[in-house]
Amino acid sequence: MRSDSAATPAIEAHGLTKRFGDFTAVQELDLQVDTGTVVSLLGPNGAGKTTMVRMLATLLRPDAGEARIGGHDVVREADRVRRVISLTGQFAALDKNLTAAENLRLMARLRGHSRGAARTITDGLIERFDIAEIRDRLVKNLSGGERRRVDLAAGLIDKPQLLVLDEPTTGLDPRSRQVVWSTIRELVAEGVTLLLTTQYLDEADALADRVVLIDHGQEIAGGTPAQLKAQVGEQRVDIVAVDGAELERLAEVLSVQFTTTVAREQRTVSVPAPQEAADLSRVVQLLRDSGVAVDEVALRRPTLDDAFLALTGHGVSDESDGGEHSEETMPKEGIAR
Amino acid sequence: MSTTATTPAPNRSTHASRRYVTDTLLLTARSLRSIPRVPERLLDVTIQPIIFILLFLYVFGSAIHVAGISYKDYLFPGIIGQSLAFGIIGAGVATSNDMAEGVVDRFRSLPISRLSIISGQVMGQFCEALLGMVITVGVGLALGWNPHLTFGHGIELLALMLLGILAFTWTGVLFGMLVRSPDAMQGMGFIIILPLTFMAGTFVPIAGLDAVPRAIAEWDPISALVAAVRGLTQGYPSSGSWQLDHPEIAMALWCLLLLAVTVPLALRRFNRTLAS
Repeated sequence: MRSDSAATPAIEAHGLTKRFGDFTAVQELDLQVDTGTVVSLLGPNGAGKTTMVRMLATLLRPDAGEARIGGHDVVREADRVRRVISLTGQFAALDKNLTAAENLRLMARLRGHSRGAARTITDGLIERFDIAEIRDRLVKNLSGGERRRVDLAAGLIDKPQLLVLDEPTTGLDPRSRQVVWSTIRELVAEGVTLLLTTQYLDEADALADRVVLIDHGQEIAGGTPAQLKAQVGEQRVDIVAVDGAELERLAEVLSVQFTTTVAREQRTVSVPAPQEAADLSRVVQLLRDSGVAVDEVALRRPTLDDAFLALTGHGVSDESDGGEHSEETMPKEGIAR
Repeated sequence: MSTTATTPAPNRSTHASRRYVTDTLLLTARSLRSIPRVPERLLDVTIQPIIFILLFLYVFGSAIHVAGISYKDYLFPGIIGQSLAFGIIGAGVATSNDMAEGVVDRFRSLPISRLSIISGQVMGQFCEALLGMVITVGVGLALGWNPHLTFGHGIELLALMLLGILAFTWTGVLFGMLVRSPDAMQGMGFIIILPLTFMAGTFVPIAGLDAVPRAIAEWDPISALVAAVRGLTQGYPSSGSWQLDHPEIAMALWCLLLLAVTVPLALRRFNRTLAS
């Protein structure tokens, strides 16, 4: 069923640019997403992710460049693009004064389904997204995770050729995030073409075939998650000494088995830990045998901060995305898998 | 191919005009459904007139004497004119609330005409304003307001009121898209619209005002509304300017002018608006 469209990329964008006054939100960005793949736009708040997806979804007109969705131009054939794309925005795009089921029925009716078909579709989505217990509750009374699931369901009323999820887990607690992830994985397993924006490296890693790292509206790196992480550096164990004198002994003890990096000001010795827990327990064993006192031992995974530090030389900035709803931005620490 | 419960999109090439009507009705129904669920919004448009009624009827009214008409009958047409104008605030607050939510974005990303989205918004607000007006008039009648309407005047009044609600709803929808937040809309209403509703022969006759407020009141569009309602329901004439001598025509012209300006602007704004 996909073979006929396989030749045309789901998304093909060249030199897309969007300015808001003096501020260039997206600058000459190219993007290609092949049918049946998952591509993630990864970047901090204000990197231009939302602006990019809004241009692709025909909600914003690009100032320069062009983009085609399934072969249709987003400006000249906006109406056709809207038929093949489904966008789930960063902030649940539901009517909060309707119930979950009423929202789904309304969206189905607006997509041209009859009343009866809309009801069947709604029931199917409610079962599929496991939201039967909240179907008759007003959206304004739902938790963030529940809303997001209803929102995802609303985006899948007609199986879209291209699904665009803008920060689908921003602001969710870890459990809801797991639920959303598993829903996305199911969709991907069914072969949905997906463009996903996120601020979390682990999310891109878990879900995407290819990651495009953007900052200040420009692509700064791209590749598979593995390639990207290799550029960022590996996970490591950080050991913090109790004082400066102990730091020397600590480095000496650890250098027996590891390549050590010493950060004197932080009283920290870092060792690479490609095997995660196994390396961590080797470190702990060495410390116990030698009797060196330490303040802290921690396994560190590369974070988006590390990625940005490694690739741009600066950390993740705190600008909000075009001034939108910054009060809703969530803490940036990664969530343990 | 998959276990999805979704079905293929139906053929949407059915008559564009029929789709427009269906989509508009669906979106209107969506707006109306929130009325019983957010009753405080309806309270917003009814509590203010009721408070003014009570204040002026039972507090200030005792010190106001208008020749040739009981104060009660003088007051209620004023309250109706004021409520019409307050419709701007109600529609504006509701629209700016909607724009701040992602839901309008979702509508805009659906393959439906953008005209139907804004039509649904306007129709929903129109019905809400109409309901508010019915409640206000009902309170007036319950408190002993005594309109003397002939059949012809009744039809004329109804037509003018519907036109007025439509014009002020469109204006409110436009303002709701222009302001940054519902609070800004409230503030604007308080600073601009509230004083204009007072300088309109609403509560006291214009003739007794000082020169400057009198000049404003003589040409304040809300004066035309108040004078039209007062003329039709009480047979009470207003005078002082052309629009007060011909209040029904003036009210119709003001409303048509408002529509001619705000409808194209609102449509243009909606197509360009970034929502959030």
